[in-house]
Amino acid sequence: MGVPSEDAYTRFVSAGFGRDLAKRLGLPQPAVLRRYSPHQPLLTGPVLVLGFSQQADAVASALLDWDLDVRRHATPKEKLGAMVLVLDDLSHPSDLAGPVLAAGASLRDLAASGRVVTVARDAAEASDPAAAAARAGVEGMLRSLAKELRAGATGNGIILHGEVDPSSASALGALRFLLSARSAFVDGQFLSVSIPEAVLPEDWERPLAGRVAVVTGAARGIGASIARTLHRDGARVIVVDVPAAGEQLARVANELSGTALQVDITAENAGDRILEHAGQRYGRLDIVVHNAGITRDKLLANMDPVRWNSVIAVNIAAQLRMNEAFLTSELFTDRPRIVSVASTSGIAGNRGQTNYATSKAGVIGLVGATARLLEPRGGTINAVAPGFIETDMTARMPFATREVARRLNSLQQGGRPEDVAETVAFLASGGAAGITGRTVRVCGQNLVGK
Amino acid sequence: MSVTQPELLPELPSLSKLYLNAAGMAAKNRLLGSDRGPGLPEYSAQVNHVVAGLPRLTAYQHLLGNTARDVMPAGFVHTLAFPVAMQVMVREDFPLPLLGMIHLRNRVESFTPIHYSQPLTIRSWARDLAGHRAGTQVDLVVEVRADSGDDVLWRGVSSYLAKGVYLPGVDRPAPASMPEDFNAPEPTALWRLGVDTGRQYAAVSGDFNPIHLSALSAKALGMRRSIAHGMFLASRALAEVRSPEPDAFEWSVSFDAPVYLPASVAVRIVDDRDADGGWHGSGYLGWNRSTGRRHFSGRVAPLSEGP
Amino acid sequence: MAPSASSPSSATPSSVTPSSAVPSDTDDRTASATSAPAGPAAPRDAVIIGGNRIPFARSGGAYTKASNLDMLTAALDGLVARFGLQNERIGEVAAGAVLKHSRDFNLTREAVLGSALSAETPAYDVQQACATGLETVLGLANKIKLGQIESAIAGGVDTASDAPIAVSEGLRSALLDLGRAKTTMQKLTILSRLRPKDLAPNAPGTGEPRTGLSMGEHQALTTAQWNISRAAQDELALASHQNLAAAYDRGFFDDLVTPYRGLVRDANLRPDTSLEKLAKLKPVFGRSLEAEATMTAGNSTPLTDGAATVLLGSEAWARQHDLPILAAVIDGEAAAVDFVHGKDGLLMAPVFAVPRLLARHNLTLADLDFVEIHEAFAGTVLSTLAAWEDEEFGKERLGLDGAFGSIDRSRLNVNGSSLAAGHPFAATGGRIVASLAKMLHEKGSVQGRPARGLISVCAAGGQGVVAILEAR
Repeated sequence: MGVPSEDAYTRFVSAGFGRDLAKRLGLPQPAVLRRYSPHQPLLTGPVLVLGFSQQADAVASALLDWDLDVRRHATPKEKLGAMVLVLDDLSHPSDLAGPVLAAGASLRDLAASGRVVTVARDAAEASDPAAAAARAGVEGMLRSLAKELRAGATGNGIILHGEVDPSSASALGALRFLLSARSAFVDGQFLSVSIPEAVLPEDWERPLAGRVAVVTGAARGIGASIARTLHRDGARVIVVDVPAAGEQLARVANELSGTALQVDITAENAGDRILEHAGQRYGRLDIVVHNAGITRDKLLANMDPVRWNSVIAVNIAAQLRMNEAFLTSELFTDRPRIVSVASTSGIAGNRGQTNYATSKAGVIGLVGATARLLEPRGGTINAVAPGFIETDMTARMPFATREVARRLNSLQQGGRPEDVAETVAFLASGGAAGITGRTVRVCGQNLVGK
Repeated sequence: MSVTQPELLPELPSLSKLYLNAAGMAAKNRLLGSDRGPGLPEYSAQVNHVVAGLPRLTAYQHLLGNTARDVMPAGFVHTLAFPVAMQVMVREDFPLPLLGMIHLRNRVESFTPIHYSQPLTIRSWARDLAGHRAGTQVDLVVEVRADSGDDVLWRGVSSYLAKGVYLPGVDRPAPASMPEDFNAPEPTALWRLGVDTGRQYAAVSGDFNPIHLSALSAKALGMRRSIAHGMFLASRALAEVRSPEPDAFEWSVSFDAPVYLPASVAVRIVDDRDADGGWHGSGYLGWNRSTGRRHFSGRVAPLSEGP
Repeated sequence: MAPSASSPSSATPSSVTPSSAVPSDTDDRTASATSAPAGPAAPRDAVIIGGNRIPFARSGGAYTKASNLDMLTAALDGLVARFGLQNERIGEVAAGAVLKHSRDFNLTREAVLGSALSAETPAYDVQQACATGLETVLGLANKIKLGQIESAIAGGVDTASDAPIAVSEGLRSALLDLGRAKTTMQKLTILSRLRPKDLAPNAPGTGEPRTGLSMGEHQALTTAQWNISRAAQDELALASHQNLAAAYDRGFFDDLVTPYRGLVRDANLRPDTSLEKLAKLKPVFGRSLEAEATMTAGNSTPLTDGAATVLLGSEAWARQHDLPILAAVIDGEAAAVDFVHGKDGLLMAPVFAVPRLLARHNLTLADLDFVEIHEAFAGTVLSTLAAWEDEEFGKERLGLDGAFGSIDRSRLNVNGSSLAAGHPFAATGGRIVASLAKMLHEKGSVQGRPARGLISVCAAGGQGVVAILEAR
């Protein structure tokens, strides 16, 4: 049961008596995040574009095309919706002082749930050490800045690879996502854009119009939320879950005017059955979201084969097998998208989860290696790694553990299933055409891992 | 944060006992004078591990005209949580007498379908004690979460009026301008409510407030006949507006003249749809055709955002 | 025996495709209707697109408080979800229940209103005892073949847990009189007529109104008449459980069943039963007969709650909606026997219906790739087979030259039947039709022709309805 809600603590400390009490006791005061809903403005105030390159001007003019109120210089005391630092022409770390300090001077004017986005080139591709130092420096600066931001504001960056320019369609697609409320729980992260071409949506409200998506594990929780979000963004959705969850699955399908397919994804022919259904009913398949996953936690010393094997089978082996079917299918050829749900456990590890972390790290590996297989089809594959997301699964954690886990990030709260869903929907859209083989964390800048 | 920790009740309090306590307290207050304070106590009650009984759920669904789905109707969740709110109102330090309180308004936000097998945590507290031209009103908030989860699945705010009770320190607003004349529209439905409607709803909701049960018990509390439960009327309207219920929706109702049983209630439901047939909500209205008095009015609308 | 309207030999009038399913070329639908080509055209196929049912529960089990309306709605909602029919206007929905409350007079329409289908979908109720489900399929298929409708949902539901309890005749008549009485005195007089016995309710039974015998007692007579052994009945029951369990295990029901009220599989299914366990059960029917009593709770179907639906359409409609086509409804036949004075067994009507139906299509039992004989009792299936294999019966009762024939047991009820799944009376037809359609589709063709299957369902009142489906 995916549930849209602030946690009780956040709500408590955000209102009247609780707020006063929290202040007095010095408790963290997590902000209520601005989340996406159709027809809302992209930003809550003007956007300040910093940087001196031609590309900075090009980005500013692209933002104007989105009907944003663009500033090239800060107006004192004016509340800003976002700041974009276009840093594509760094040649030495000393080049950073100008734009970064200018951003710093305006931080106090950043509105609640505001955005800071850096756009820089990949350090590893720099031609000389000074440029590499400057480019890498951006990452350290941004990650620290993200931790200093308040009131639900987030800091994220875009790393440009190869010949991708800040004002290229794919970089702008990524920028729009990071500016929008869709990225509410994405914080301290970098999106790597390596392909310049992208077909940006004609209608930003329905970026997935005409696309057919399948979501596994869609009967409840994050999966149901992903299905809802893809549907909201215009996709026709096939929801998949095990037969035992069929009743909830039918509910989700009926709510979304989609179709329900009861299939165990670990079955040998699961991929073929999904393709058969998609082919029969829609004549195509454009988006695959591998969301189905299980946990069977145990310390490795006590791990039994059943626990280990079932987690590997559901969380990674099933995806590998299904992808083989999708990648050879004629139905899956029009700019196809695969998005896998990984986990921050797969990045940082987690006590008691050797099996789960193996499978989720495996997903991250799978995604990296599958990217080139999709390239000839103009397709992409990426993973989303959720941090602490408030779901049924986490609700079963012991109270204290949960409370601590929830606050261990820069936004000082757990995310919601929709936060994961929004990032999945972005990666499935035309705006994310430049991003492939990557893992995007949706964790509120969790302290674990990088 | 011990000050705000709710009192954890071992189980759902029995409503009939609560009513009995309330009656006892009313009698005691009449004899000894009330020692209630003027403000609301900082108190909230909570019960964990509440699981709906399938037979009662099914009986409720059938009485209200719902199909027996595995998801609980929003009105049923209200009945499930009601004893916790009652617990807040029967306490000695609650400033208003429970018996005879009038249900003015109710607003429910249902954020997600709740499967009947889901164990629930229910918490309730009172807020917004305020003057009313006819007495003093208060809001009872109930929040329902998945057991040990933190997301609110369902939230209800019930506004009650203690008629003729004026508390020191609570402002008494100027009398509101006369309510606008009610012009009865053409009904879309006519509900014939038998004299046992109150007893039937009491059986599925557990709300055995005497004013609903029989003419005799209602007269004891100053009513001329027994009256239908407000939430029965609102829940039946909800069932007729949308079945199955949407996944996330708000549902509000304001109560006007009570429905004396037996009754025939004229009802009008109007859907708000866009050109594509997309549903943006429905308004509903119930009135007495012979007297032209309005019984209730409300709205059901999809919720697109979280609380 | 008149050929039915759907028989391939009879020409059906050509239809202009109804406007609901196929956009007409002209704006003026009336004009397009009158300009339709005159004269007869080939009848068209009615195809089975798929089905959905809820798991069958044992009476008093998971669905105890659920009503027929609840269960039928649940089955419809699962069907809608499987095939993406949300807000779709279906040509017609027909379903029924055998045990029915008077408040359910418009059961199917009410279920449609409560479901995710368009509220503009018409519906009607059908009742032909245990054949209800199959009869809804045949009736709607005929409408599709005639071009009256493009799409249809057939179904059935029954609950033995929420069965209507009737008041006694004395109380009923008193209550009716009371309603007509005007004065208090008249009312008192009427009430004084009542006796304590009038207040005892009449629970519904499966007893035959004319003989007073229960269905089981009737079958016991037939079972004894055909000398069906206890061991043979137990073996059939065992096969039913094993076949159904295996079908579940290989995922056969993944796209046929949607869970409800926490039930995921048919509650009656006992995958671990054995001949030894079945042999230990005490006989429950036929104990007063001279012959050995052989019918136990293990080889008879229990009272069951459940609902099943089948989605039908014209081929054009199915293709337009990108829906799968599993099988075609070829033909059906109903029969009835005179059981009242013992001429034939109560549940033996299909024995007569099947030869007539196969004859119409120049088929024999050997031409069938799957045979689904509803297992009301193991004895029913075995008596049916015995009658068909009996030379004398073939000559004297079926008017043939000899025995009608025998069925390759490896083609009989291969995915289990009512002994294992249970038998919510009106839901059984839908269960069998959807399952057989899927089996036929999977089989595809046999020796260059489409795979063919037979369904035989016996029913109270000495009736039986049978049908032929063909793979598509």
